[in-house]
Amino acid sequence: MPVVTLRDWIPVALSADLPAATVIPAHTPSGILALWRSANGELATLADRCPHRGMRLSYGFVRGEALSCIYHGWSYGQNGQCRRIPAHPDLTPPAAIKAASYPTEERNGVIWIALGEPKAPPPALEGFKPLRSITLEVDAKLISATGDVRTRLAGVDVLLLIVGISGSETVAHLMVDAAATESDCVTVSRAAEGWRRECEQLGVKELAS
Amino acid sequence: MILYDYILSPDAYKVRLMAALTGLKLELWAVDMHPGREHQSEPLLALNPAGSIPILVDGDLILTESAAMLVYLAKLAAPEWLGENDAADAARIQQWLSFSRRLTDHLGGARATEMLVEPGDLPSLQRAGTVDLREVEAALAERRIVGQCFLAADRATIADIACFPYVALAPDGGLSLDPYPSIRLWMRAIRMLPGFIEMPGIHRLHELKPEPVSDMPETV
Repeated sequence: MPVVTLRDWIPVALSADLPAATVIPAHTPSGILALWRSANGELATLADRCPHRGMRLSYGFVRGEALSCIYHGWSYGQNGQCRRIPAHPDLTPPAAIKAASYPTEERNGVIWIALGEPKAPPPALEGFKPLRSITLEVDAKLISATGDVRTRLAGVDVLLLIVGISGSETVAHLMVDAAATESDCVTVSRAAEGWRRECEQLGVKELAS
Repeated sequence: MILYDYILSPDAYKVRLMAALTGLKLELWAVDMHPGREHQSEPLLALNPAGSIPILVDGDLILTESAAMLVYLAKLAAPEWLGENDAADAARIQQWLSFSRRLTDHLGGARATEMLVEPGDLPSLQRAGTVDLREVEAALAERRIVGQCFLAADRATIADIACFPYVALAPDGGLSLDPYPSIRLWMRAIRMLPGFIEMPGIHRLHELKPEPVSDMPETV
């Protein structure tokens, strides 16, 4: 069964790594975005730059349904519109104070971001469940031409969603056979460490050649 | 009980944090490490010939290793933090207490070189620090598979406190924590513990307190 991932959508994180009321830096080939989930569970992605002073919003915090900047507490809604400026509590922030926002979808335990406006939803990746995300110090091109790796780790079917985030850094979201047991998952997680070392060795050889 | 303390020392912070989490009162004795180099002065060398901080003194007992201080405080005030249920758990605790020395050497070394401008081979400290961070991440990822979020038991133990500060301060040594989702959630769980205290570079979770409301503008 070939797995087609539409790269209109970039896989950036596993759902389990972003609980309610948290924000994380989402690494994409075009840079870092602030990915957050509100207390009610709403997902949103904003440019990782507070329009006020340029602080990274992914350093901030989520209180209720808003993402707040760690610097001066300016807070933003899911659409990026500034909602509150603590130093000016009576001011309704002007519409121009807005961080860019990006389409964000969650499917089968994987969170996807689009930089454009995709026509189709992200892939379901049926038959797999998410295990963990790892970062490799290697060029993604050396691992996969298509953005995915289908292989077996420790005898279990796995699907790796590969995202090159720079010429020397790659994120891999590791999905395992949906039927894998807890103990299979631990074994695969350990095998993934070895897989990473192998991939990084490829990078070292490439540099040497 | 006197803790010879330095506000920027992650090892001293471990002891302050442990005391805060277990409700123990410490008498803090601020050592003028910088610029006074007081830790190298004769009165402190008499307590600790190695000239390092922290030092914990309780009557006749003098401790100079932070891992031992964590054991002492836990045994005195909160034995549940020792987390020793069976042979494997007891060994896990010892594993992480010893492992925390690697964090001090590598992540602490990178931080001292990068931030405090002490001599050191930054790229090789960072390489070794990355191996350490990956080991912590892999261990925590395994714990999460079985539904737990701490290093050595189904609750926070001295193992977590021993490893937390240098991991949290890794960015001071030029190592981003972005690649480690399980470490991020673990650090959050530790910062949510009742009684948690901060040190410079490790802040509390602002979202745990309600949004401040005031008629007066907040100072910024």
